[in-house]
Amino acid sequence: MSFRGEAAIIGIGELPTQRTYLGKSMPGLLGDAARLAIHDAHINVGDVDGIITEGGITYPAFVAEYLGLSVRFATGSSMMGASGATGVALASMAVMNGLANYVLVVIAQDRNPALGGGGEGFPGHAGEFDFPYGPAAGANNGYGQIYQRHMELYGTTQEQLAHVAANQRFNALENPNAVFKGQPITHQDVLDSRYVNYPLRLLEVVMPCGGAAAVIVTSAERAAASLNKPAYVLGGGTGLDDFGALQKPEITVSPVARSAPIALNMSGYSPRDMQFAQFYDCYTILESMCLEDAGLVPKGEIGPFFESTDTTYKGEFPINTDGGQLSAGQPGLAGGFRHVVEAARQIMGRAGPRQIERNDLGMVNG
Amino acid sequence: MTYGDTPGGGKKKAPDAVSDYKKPLPNPSLNPEVSKPFWDGTKKHELWVQYDRRNNKFVFPPREVSPGDLTPMDELEWTKINGMGRVYSYTTVYQSSIPAFTEEAPYVNATIQLDAAGVRMTGNVLGLTKEQLMNNELHINQRVEAVFEDITPDWTLVKWQIVDEEEAPSAEE
Repeated sequence: MSFRGEAAIIGIGELPTQRTYLGKSMPGLLGDAARLAIHDAHINVGDVDGIITEGGITYPAFVAEYLGLSVRFATGSSMMGASGATGVALASMAVMNGLANYVLVVIAQDRNPALGGGGEGFPGHAGEFDFPYGPAAGANNGYGQIYQRHMELYGTTQEQLAHVAANQRFNALENPNAVFKGQPITHQDVLDSRYVNYPLRLLEVVMPCGGAAAVIVTSAERAAASLNKPAYVLGGGTGLDDFGALQKPEITVSPVARSAPIALNMSGYSPRDMQFAQFYDCYTILESMCLEDAGLVPKGEIGPFFESTDTTYKGEFPINTDGGQLSAGQPGLAGGFRHVVEAARQIMGRAGPRQIERNDLGMVNG
Repeated sequence: MTYGDTPGGGKKKAPDAVSDYKKPLPNPSLNPEVSKPFWDGTKKHELWVQYDRRNNKFVFPPREVSPGDLTPMDELEWTKINGMGRVYSYTTVYQSSIPAFTEEAPYVNATIQLDAAGVRMTGNVLGLTKEQLMNNELHINQRVEAVFEDITPDWTLVKWQIVDEEEAPSAEE
């Protein structure tokens, strides 16, 4: 099945990403983001007849009731950071098949200490076989090991990947929703920041935050009548890895090696056609290997690519034009969804001072 | 071999009281019955993993089905393997989410590729001085061998000790 050109995003909503969201619960944040997206799409709350939430913590029935939505299509998209991007693919399939006219995809992450909202702790083997050996903070342990191995296999250097963080901070300076807005850093600042765990430096690691995002997805037919310029969905694919799965054949290869070809084949375009990328970036190394696995950069050549390419919104191949999660902050479950929203914003031509010129075709890894 | 700079490395004998040990004990939250033979093995200073004979592969961490084949657990045979392996990758940790570890930083958290096909384990590589750690002198593919650390009367962890290449016996299963 293909949903090439059958669906489009016609409304977007995003809350600022910030360290804490005092006084806000998960459904409260979902409601705020939903309101923004619904208003942006120039539709009424009553027009929304489909909803996709993260599903695990914020299950659709509760959220729909909390928001007062009467829907005929609902499901969860429990894909951690990728829940939003996956939700857009699911929404596209729903609207093209007439299951709903307007699907609200909405994901949030609270950061309210009073409510215990850290969004951490997943069932798995880690407590038994990893924690006794002194895990690095957060997910840093695995990504430090991936980084180390990428350096070993391909000669990638920390100087090269420091450009990822520095370029995205430049982009974030023009993003009012970014947690690090107004705080410029240089390439040297990245290299001077302390090690959290070698080879990962502090400025190569995301800041856990709260936030929320939402989009309205509708059919191509309805999108054509929208007051907004639609962002058409041309393809989508899924690849899965348990982050903690150390048994996979090669840890420097991400699931994007499987998901990107599916999305590209559906779209009819090749990586060379892409004008920009919004890619999941919890760490410089994760974004780097995903760009390789998507075919945007040959495997192992991400280091020289970042040395020779301006990836800011002013550059020849803009990446994470809102600062990405590294500089805008990582709102937990909504982390990857921010990349979808920014891609739609750029295609709709509404990115303000950081608007890119070539904005017809972009690739998102959520 | 210097153990002083690695987590818990100085204690070769079990503390008298469980409370002496400040770091997380293994928490078999998924299903303690399934992984019990592994931890029973480490208490004997042996390495035991599940073996899927039908598909000729080792399974770790322990599971109720063999991944990829869904062979049921009662057909998986607990098998003793030798403790030889290589560093698949590692990170030198300066800050852990667990304070008791941060106090001992820097230390190595590594993934070990065992000679027993397909099995990788997370662990600490012992035997590096603080200076060696800060200079990142550990290398991917470094030969290592399992050693066992009795952290409490009930629990024994597997750790990894650097061995010279020529000393290592060629290890198959």
